[in-house]
Amino acid sequence: MLPEARLTPYPQPDCRPLDGIRLLDMTTAVAGPVATTLLGALGAEVLRIETPWAKPRNPASALPYRGTGPDEPWNREPRQNELGHSKRSIALNLTTESGREVFLDLVERSDVVLENYSPRVMGNFGLEWDALRERNPEIIHVSMPAFGNSGPWRDRISYGPGIDAMSGMSWLTGYSDGSPLKPGNFYCDQNAGLSAALSTVAALLARGRVGGQTVELAMLEGELQLVGDAMIGQQLSGREPMRIGNQHSSAAPHGVYPTAPLLDDPDAWIAIACRSDDEWNGLVKVWRNEAVAWDRRFATGLRRWRHGAELDLLLSEWTRQSDPVALTERLQDAGVPASPVMGARALLRDEQVLTRQSVGGLMHPQVGLSPAPQAAFRLSRTPAPPKNAAPLFAVDTIPVLEEILGYSKARISELLNSGAVSDRLVER
Amino acid sequence: MTEPEPDHTAGPLDGFRAIEYSETPAGAYCGRLLAGLGARVTIVESAPGTPLRRRGPFRADTPDPEAGATHLHLNRRKNSVRLELASAAGRRLFNQLLSEADVFVCDVDRRRGDELDMDPVAIRKRHPELQVCAIAPYGLEGPKSEWQAAELTLYAGGGYLRIGGEPDREPVKAWGDQGHLQAGLHAALGIVSALYADRGGQLIDTAMVEAVAFLLGGGYQHAWFSDREPVRNGARLVGFGPGHLYPSTIRPCQDGWVHAHCNNRYPEAMAVLFDEPQLAEPALLANLMGRADEVDSLMSPLLMDTPRREVVRRAQELRIPFTEVLAPSEVLADADGHHDSRDFWQTMPHPRGGDFLAPGPAVRFGRTKWIEGDAPRLGQHNERLGTPDQRVRWRRAGVA
Repeated sequence: MLPEARLTPYPQPDCRPLDGIRLLDMTTAVAGPVATTLLGALGAEVLRIETPWAKPRNPASALPYRGTGPDEPWNREPRQNELGHSKRSIALNLTTESGREVFLDLVERSDVVLENYSPRVMGNFGLEWDALRERNPEIIHVSMPAFGNSGPWRDRISYGPGIDAMSGMSWLTGYSDGSPLKPGNFYCDQNAGLSAALSTVAALLARGRVGGQTVELAMLEGELQLVGDAMIGQQLSGREPMRIGNQHSSAAPHGVYPTAPLLDDPDAWIAIACRSDDEWNGLVKVWRNEAVAWDRRFATGLRRWRHGAELDLLLSEWTRQSDPVALTERLQDAGVPASPVMGARALLRDEQVLTRQSVGGLMHPQVGLSPAPQAAFRLSRTPAPPKNAAPLFAVDTIPVLEEILGYSKARISELLNSGAVSDRLVER
Repeated sequence: MTEPEPDHTAGPLDGFRAIEYSETPAGAYCGRLLAGLGARVTIVESAPGTPLRRRGPFRADTPDPEAGATHLHLNRRKNSVRLELASAAGRRLFNQLLSEADVFVCDVDRRRGDELDMDPVAIRKRHPELQVCAIAPYGLEGPKSEWQAAELTLYAGGGYLRIGGEPDREPVKAWGDQGHLQAGLHAALGIVSALYADRGGQLIDTAMVEAVAFLLGGGYQHAWFSDREPVRNGARLVGFGPGHLYPSTIRPCQDGWVHAHCNNRYPEAMAVLFDEPQLAEPALLANLMGRADEVDSLMSPLLMDTPRREVVRRAQELRIPFTEVLAPSEVLADADGHHDSRDFWQTMPHPRGGDFLAPGPAVRFGRTKWIEGDAPRLGQHNERLGTPDQRVRWRRAGVA
């Protein structure tokens, strides 16, 4: 019988690295929200600025209702739930003068503004760097344009997967006999989000020395760091790098092999990587195939690599009869890098994931306990696990206006009545 | 109070010193990011140098420890100190370096760490103010913490491999060392966060496989709430229902491939781009992902008849986010001059003569700077260790 998926709620530490930092989050899509969830988990108070009528596009995809309070499908949107954690939510209409003024009041009391609009949008709101800096010379303004705030492609539009194409990453990714593929679902976005979080903390570290500043993280330039060796290699060798799928450039066997189906998963595979004679000898020991062990085609690393396709066929015949988990354990015991091809379901019941709480739970008032992965590092003195589940839409508007800005009740109700701010989703 | 002056000569991490011992791209990329952000990063290498020096491609396919593509990229703007870590005197010198540093980055697994006497917990005890970042395949704890790993098996173990590739073939990973590079990026974020926290030295226990598992993002919600998970789907986005917008995919065209993506606000604009009214039919728009094959067919005639640049030009004019799929040589050729206008590619001297282009800033700061520099020769900075007399003694003893 399979173990059940388990999710334990994240413990909440007393202190986090960015305690005391306040960040205004104007991000959309994936890359920006990844950056701000990370910074929120690191301890920044992240105020997510929502548009009052920002209804999710596809309420039919809402997560199941498992709450006790009112049922509001827009608060159960999967993407919002995934990328909204560790934040607070306020709704401002930045196209009104009063909404913009509230925003600038918040800028005065914040440390970071982080946005990933196209370069022209902040200007359209009248919120370019000079306007922010005039109100707070210590403010750090992080922008995450697709192609950069300057240059011929400045005003081109693209989401992350389109940038994978422009960086060479898609061209390089894929089977050796196939077409270019994406490197993952939102790979460029995840990379840009992490890079923006890193750059934000770096700018905070420099603030005492240079004050506030702009930080421009062009998603394309962030991703080009990840293919730098291909770019340099192309120039050194004079050859275009080839798509090689799961193969190694000089070692074999190195691939993904079919296994016996699992109880709940017919799509079962094992990844095996032999990069040295030691690793090959470990594989041979577990395989116990005399014919392979003595086959001259596989006698040296170079020969194994040259005869990789034949070796893969033989290896697949063997792995096909094995359970991927049990086989992995035997190979690991023999010093061979191997792993079952895990998926999200398998990870949620994996002892390693549970022990390190690689994915933990956050309690959401309308969907119940909800999973969120944490960053790959554990800080021994100032831990930084995700802080709170995605907030309900605009739930923090009034508390923020009262507690952070010190607005009077009369002023708040004037702002609510004029539509400059909102404490709920507005029909439009 | 006077306003601080900008400093366009130094990075935001100027003044911080890091020691790096790397055997994989994870630690090396972490160090590369810290160096670009302005920290002084020194790699400690025993003969014959970090394994990254043995990775090609090389010029004329001639292996050269000073001139492999990975070394020239990931070790830029670092110092190199050659120390024989197997000797007691070498380890003393190594500890002296650590005592003068703010950060130590090490990316070996637990078994290798024991061989090298680089147990991060012991190092932290000896240097309580040091930020000790241990990047290990599965982290320092848990039942898999002693597992061996390679880039491919990390991709498998972190769940991201499963969503790559064609549905009727084996899963396929992204090109290169993406799992390791993401681990380096996570580690760098952990390090700067510990520096900012300023609570004394911390152990920053980074698991490479978790950097891969982090990429799955919304996949955990599918698994938790519906016991489903995304299935690989060729070049199409995975994990979305039939009603989700489409295209987001790679399609062939007259002279290569384009990345095709609809405008999320105005998906019907595709009908104008392709001069194909069926692409705006309400029944199709309501079920775009479910009818993705049909959408591909409707796009094909124009795509197969039109060069990439022209397809993208027309699409972008309509605010439809199409882009070209570029090969590395085409990225470097920079036909539109975009990278050139931003001074992105940096001309670097090749150690054996001539130049090559390397990626420039990952990030641009308004009042500080991303800092570039060359990759060091093995032991290039040994002369900065100790006094001249000490250096003579160390050299004679084969320590440094």
